[in-house]
Amino acid sequence: MHIPDGILPAQVCVAGYAMTGLATWYSLRQINRKPDPTAEIPKASLLTAAFFVASSIYIPVPPASVHLILNGLLGVVLGYFAFPAILIGLFFQALVIGHGGLTTLGVNAAMMGVPALLAYHIFQARHSFSKVVMEPARTALFAFLGGALGLGIAALIFLTLVILNISADINANTERGLILVLSAAHIPLMMVEGVFTAMLVLFLQRVKPELLES
Amino acid sequence: MRHRLILLLLTTLGGITWATPGFSHGVSIQYQILNSVEIQARYDSGEPLKEAQVVIYAPENPTEPWITGTTDTEGYFVFTPDLALPGTWEVAVRQAGHGEIVSIPVMADGLTANSAIGTGNEASADSSTPASKALDTPDLFPRELSPVQRWLMIGAVIWGFVGTALFFSRGKR
Repeated sequence: MHIPDGILPAQVCVAGYAMTGLATWYSLRQINRKPDPTAEIPKASLLTAAFFVASSIYIPVPPASVHLILNGLLGVVLGYFAFPAILIGLFFQALVIGHGGLTTLGVNAAMMGVPALLAYHIFQARHSFSKVVMEPARTALFAFLGGALGLGIAALIFLTLVILNISADINANTERGLILVLSAAHIPLMMVEGVFTAMLVLFLQRVKPELLES
Repeated sequence: MRHRLILLLLTTLGGITWATPGFSHGVSIQYQILNSVEIQARYDSGEPLKEAQVVIYAPENPTEPWITGTTDTEGYFVFTPDLALPGTWEVAVRQAGHGEIVSIPVMADGLTANSAIGTGNEASADSSTPASKALDTPDLFPRELSPVQRWLMIGAVIWGFVGTALFFSRGKR
């Protein structure tokens, strides 16, 4: 679900870099306000590596084939560290495995990183529902929602960006149909990543709950 | 007598068959050996881009498509560039928001001997002239790492070791 070079016009790429710059500045500012900003760097580094590798794991969803993104999971577990983690992960993916591109790095980072920050806020919203849903179902539910919606929103942004920027030289109807099929194939992936996020969060809550506190 | 009649009949039929080598509608096949370019577009998972849209731009006009088409079920597409238009031909393959553009140098006296290998995004287009394809490795994936990729990976591994060492040496705070 990475947008490669040459698909989007230059203005969109520049706007993507602007949004990524803004989101990175905001995330670093939020991180800097923590009592110990460096404390979570090892956790963030580990998940950056996981994010980098995840996009090489393909899941066949006939007739398409999708790969893991894990942006929602990063948001849930890392909070504001998720944005720089995704940015670094995407940079390495573009250079090493050819996913995405350097001109579209800003767009891809905003497309996956901003939903990751939303996923973090969705997960944090669990504290407001402490009387409605009991633990551990509450943590699992909000982790699932964070993991699934983080990916779902990113897929929606991808869909919008590529549908609005179909090249005039190709058959737009065919391309539009295929984009919709590919986007629909992300619905099962949302479930997979949501469940995986919930399982990871429940595991962390049992063995090292302080990793989830931020 | 009867045998002679059958023999005569067979001889006549044989003569007719010999005289008319085909049926009434003649079919002729002409062939010409051309310098063509064959591309194959695949995702990095190795899966071909089936029926993906292909747009080819000639060197003299990189904005107007020279020809368009679709890849076959194995991701292949073959075209014959106009040798009167030497320069860099651009081949773009697109499918569902994914794709790649590969540049193919074409000389006035024919295609270049060395095949160009496109480096891919999520999808990659490999190209080679059919004549030189046999000389290539049959499968172009996994493609060779570029120097930038190699140094980046070496740097990442070293940085990983340094980071791990720093993590364990930081002590309790």
